[in-house]
Amino acid sequence: MPPRIPCRAHRAACATPAVRCRIRLQRRSASTAASAPEIYDVVCVGGGPAGLSLLAGLKASPVTNGLKVALIDGQDLQKNRLQKDATLDSFSNRCSSLTPASMRNLQEIGVWRHANASRIQPYQEMQVWDGVSDARISFDWDTARSFGPRKPTQPTTIAYMIENVNTVSALLGRLEELGGVDMFASTKVDAIELGTDTEQLDLSSWPVLSLSNGKSLAARLLVGADGANSPVRTFAGIPSRGFDYSRHGVVATLKLSNSGWGGPDHKIAYQRFLPSGPIAMLPMPGNFATLVWSTTPERAAKLKSLSPADFSAMVNAGFRLSLTDLEYLHTLPSGQAEEIAWREKHTPVDERALPVRVTDVQSGSVASFPLRMRHADTYTGERVALVGDAAHTVHPLAGQGLNQGQGDAAALVRTISHAVQTGQDIGSTLALESYNAARYAENNAMMGVCDKLHRLYSVESGPIVGLRSLGLRAVDAMGPLKGFFMNRAAGGV
Amino acid sequence: MASARSPSALLGTFRAASHRPATAWRQRCSYHSQEYTQPPPFPPAESAILTSALSHVPSYGFTADALRLGARDAGYMDVSTNLLPRGVFDLINYHLVTQRLALKSTVQFPSTGDQGKKLGTGAKVRTLTLARLRANEPLIHRWQEALAIMAQPSYASTSLAELARLADEIWYLAGDESVDSSWYTKRASLSAIYSATEVFMTQDKSKNFIETEQFLDSRLGDVMKMGGFIGALSEWADYTAHSAVNVLRSKGMRV
Repeated sequence: MPPRIPCRAHRAACATPAVRCRIRLQRRSASTAASAPEIYDVVCVGGGPAGLSLLAGLKASPVTNGLKVALIDGQDLQKNRLQKDATLDSFSNRCSSLTPASMRNLQEIGVWRHANASRIQPYQEMQVWDGVSDARISFDWDTARSFGPRKPTQPTTIAYMIENVNTVSALLGRLEELGGVDMFASTKVDAIELGTDTEQLDLSSWPVLSLSNGKSLAARLLVGADGANSPVRTFAGIPSRGFDYSRHGVVATLKLSNSGWGGPDHKIAYQRFLPSGPIAMLPMPGNFATLVWSTTPERAAKLKSLSPADFSAMVNAGFRLSLTDLEYLHTLPSGQAEEIAWREKHTPVDERALPVRVTDVQSGSVASFPLRMRHADTYTGERVALVGDAAHTVHPLAGQGLNQGQGDAAALVRTISHAVQTGQDIGSTLALESYNAARYAENNAMMGVCDKLHRLYSVESGPIVGLRSLGLRAVDAMGPLKGFFMNRAAGGV
Repeated sequence: MASARSPSALLGTFRAASHRPATAWRQRCSYHSQEYTQPPPFPPAESAILTSALSHVPSYGFTADALRLGARDAGYMDVSTNLLPRGVFDLINYHLVTQRLALKSTVQFPSTGDQGKKLGTGAKVRTLTLARLRANEPLIHRWQEALAIMAQPSYASTSLAELARLADEIWYLAGDESVDSSWYTKRASLSAIYSATEVFMTQDKSKNFIETEQFLDSRLGDVMKMGGFIGALSEWADYTAHSAVNVLRSKGMRV
């Protein structure tokens, strides 16, 4: 029989669950120090797309929505949300390409309907070519059909371009709808250490987080969704290996002269592999597009210093002019626009095979970030799981980073719900094993492909250029093989 | 020293030093310490003869004549040169060993460089190598003879060992403290560069051996590029090996 006082307290606090917890805990820790940690089933550090997707998945599933979960993020999450009155004439420069598999997953957990659909741009075709030899491959589901006629159920969309801020807003919207997540926004994790063994509770294998607001949380399962320099990964002692590419990714939001060669209903993404790194232009709604240009740090700094007119001209040149021209253009202090206009007259190109011209760049949208590859040795430890960038950082050339994080979150939700259904401790390494098994090899393969593509296309001359061009043309000619690659990139099997 | 010294006494001096003076001298001390002053590598008499013999090399070359004149200058009889068992090669070896050991005192690195920046290991290696090459300057027109003698089959192994010791000395003085496999590759590549540059220098007619300096710089540049490439390759191989093991582990294999 429980004593009467807590019972009353329980009933009194029913409307506000947070108070209930505090009262219960106070009773539990009456004889020990006042700072006994509050116990959670899942504590997620990091409110990025991967962490939020995990929490939304847990709360959306009837099996796991009873778990007591907390989210900790150093930033104010509300600030990072899309403005309600956002117009369609400016877009964030941080965009991602969501594969149909990630999109389906977001639909299943009820997030997709919270997204601002007018700001999402599906694209149906992708043109990729070699900057040295001009060998080209075109990805669209029509030419990639397997044997027999195309089934009407087959998808036509390759991927969806979405601003990261839109993804995060949709996830937060869904979490608010579901409720039951203790949010600690604008709160930093001061320390993570193992708990202590007291008379009431043995927390010696539990990670206990001390927060900057003075609270301390004990986690049955601590999820690290805290980015590339993950403190959770450091706590778990999981090494992360990889290399820096000594390349920077330059991003910008571009304004184009029209909505593209295929019109608004058939959008095309373009990617040209230059030896310094690929330059990609991905469609956004209307006449907008987003740029991701991987290049050397010196060139990235140069590009960032240019005037909008010169920058737009450089992007046009990046898709059109020869490598020698580009090298020279990067040495000019300014005035690229006139120089390019003159050079383009002497460079015959097939305009229909290239992205439409950039007319302007959204002010303040040019930014750059260093490219690196990192992969943690394992995604799980005792009461620890890593998702998203904390587990792996990948070259952005295939636009897979966000999708890998979404895949991780979905797999971890499956693992946790299986553990709950079978009555296991969700933090035990045994229960978490299946998460690592499901994701590690798949992510490793995808990262390997991106790394090798980067290395393959860094070569400027010699027999490798001939071979890679031959390979690209061969894949382009073989529909089923191309379909296989597209399926893999779309996240299917 | 008195020129009337009896031959037997002289013999005694040499006997004590035995056939391989340097090694015998060193073996007395079974350890090496920077703080502990090493005994001179050659016994005094041998040292005296060979030092004066070297001064005759520019005019007489690496020949028995130079040795004989050296012995006379040092106050010994002509016949005493017979007691240098390897003849002219001992003269060359003396030059190699003394110049190697001299590096320590001839090249002093300031704690900060010209622009107040600390000198890197690469720059130190370059300075030391150049200093060692410059020590051949007085003999450079005769150095091809020395190279020919060093390349003789019976002396080749000793010459190579001395080259290896020189490379080791340079890396040591440059402050290299690597204890991985690069210890070997560093010494091997420097030995190759040094010997190539040495040969180049014997034919260099430029003022103040400026072309030799350029030759050395471009060889060192090659190694840097190669080193960067090998470094990147081994980093990549290391990553790939680890990820293969990690994939197997993720699938539940006990590796």
